[in-house]
Order: sequence, then structure tokens, then C-alpha cells
Amino acid sequence: MVGFRKREREEEAEIPTASMADIAFLLIIFFMVTTVFAREKGLKLLLPERQAQTVKLSGEKMLVLSINPRGEIFAGDRKISLQDVQAEVKKKLEENPKAIVLIRTHELAPYKRMIDVFDEVKLADAKAVSLGVIKQETGP
Amino acid sequence: MKIKRKKEMRVNIPTASMSDIAFLLLIFFMVTTVFRRSGGLRVIFPTARTTERLGKQRDLSFLWINKDGKMAVDDNVIPDPGRLTLIFKTKIAENPALITVIKADANVRYQSVNNAIESMRDAGALRVVFATLPEVGQ
Repeated sequence: MVGFRKREREEEAEIPTASMADIAFLLIIFFMVTTVFAREKGLKLLLPERQAQTVKLSGEKMLVLSINPRGEIFAGDRKISLQDVQAEVKKKLEENPKAIVLIRTHELAPYKRMIDVFDEVKLADAKAVSLGVIKQETGP
Repeated sequence: MKIKRKKEMRVNIPTASMSDIAFLLLIFFMVTTVFRRSGGLRVIFPTARTTERLGKQRDLSFLWINKDGKMAVDDNVIPDPGRLTLIFKTKIAENPALITVIKADANVRYQSVNNAIESMRDAGALRVVFATLPEVGQ
């Protein structure tokens, strides 16, 4: 046809917003599910009661691990390395499954060292662990 | 008589503002969230391979010991370690299921840790945890 052209219809611009809510809720749920609250971590220990009677144990039932101020470890009187602690505890537990492991740390020894030894003892699956201290010798 | 059929009405729920609501909620919670700032002392934790995760946050109480042996319970610095027993006695009275997390510096002398443990035994707060970090690269 020759007549005037039909005027072009103005197209309405439109952004589809219907799924926006879905996206938002998806984000909320994603963050809710993936959020991990910081949990405290550590080594558990139950202290003996103060009133409890002190029980005397013979050497056979007990493995004494001592730590000196320089951080050296002794099983009884023998000097051992940190790597040997686990084997030492396991050996003792094989001899006597009810054996108690006593960790005696010198007052001036670093805390880190005691944790290292405690860690090794726990790795050896010892159930009864006791903590002791070696007091600093006071001069005469 | 002719019965006029009713024109079917189109049901329409306006969902355009749903996203606004969702984002509003998102922003509200983002703004109102308060992260707990640990107000304790500056401490470098020792590492241990047998590190376990602890349960209920509610029963936990924190004892900080920094590398100079300075102590703090929860967020308060304790100038006199002799008061530790009293503090833990009140705590254990409030909550018998109390677990004390000892957050001691790796390089502190064992003496300070031992003193703390002894005062906790005196107070009857027997459940103790030594805070450690899991060893990496093992």
C-alpha cells in the first residue's frame, strides 16, 4: 500500500523481576546453610577432685613422663624423644591396660612442651592421664 | 431467560515486591549481626593432633594466660591470681556443668598453667579443656 506508514508501536521496556525474589531467597538459604560458627577446639581433661584420697600407686601401674625446664622428656629415668612417647605409652598399656600416665612438668618448662606430650599420650589411647608438677627448688 | 456466564476473574498475586522484602530481610540481618569479639589476651595457641571440637558454647568459660603469665577470665583481666578460686567458685555455683577452656600461650611457663589448674581444683571446676589448634600439614 502506498498510504502512510503505520506508526511504530512504542515498545514498553520491561525487566523481568518475578524471579528476583527467588534469587534473594536462594542467597539467604545458601548463606544459612554454609555458615559455620567458630567452635572452640582443644584437649579435654577431667581434673581429680581435691577431697579425693591420694592413691599410692606402684611403678608397675604407672608411667611417669617428666619434662625438665629445657623441655627434655624422661620416661622414668630414661631420656626419650617426643617421637618415642607414643610407643612408650603403648608398650606400658600392653603390659598393663589399666596403667596411668603421669605427666610431670617442671614449673619453668614451656606449656607447649606439656601439650606436645599430652597430645602424644592421647594418640596412644591412654584413658587415665594425670598431670603433675615439679616444683622449682628453692635455695637453702 | 438467558443466564449470563460470569466472566472468569484472573487471580493475581502481586509478587513484584517480594524481592524487596527478601533483600530487606537480608540487609536487616546483615546489619544487626554482631560478631563476638574475643576480648581476651593476645595468645598463640599450641598445636595438637588430637584436638577435638567442643560442644555446647553455653557452658564454656574462658581463662586466658598470655606469655607473661598475665591472666584474664572471659574478658576481664585478673590482676591477682589468688582471686581465681573465688571467681571459679561463683561460676560453678551458677552453672555446675561449667567447662573451663584454658587459653594459654604456647610459650608460657607451665607454672602459671599449673597454678590456674590448682585454683580450679580448689573451686571444684573440674572440667577443663586446653585450647589448642589442630596441627596443619599432617
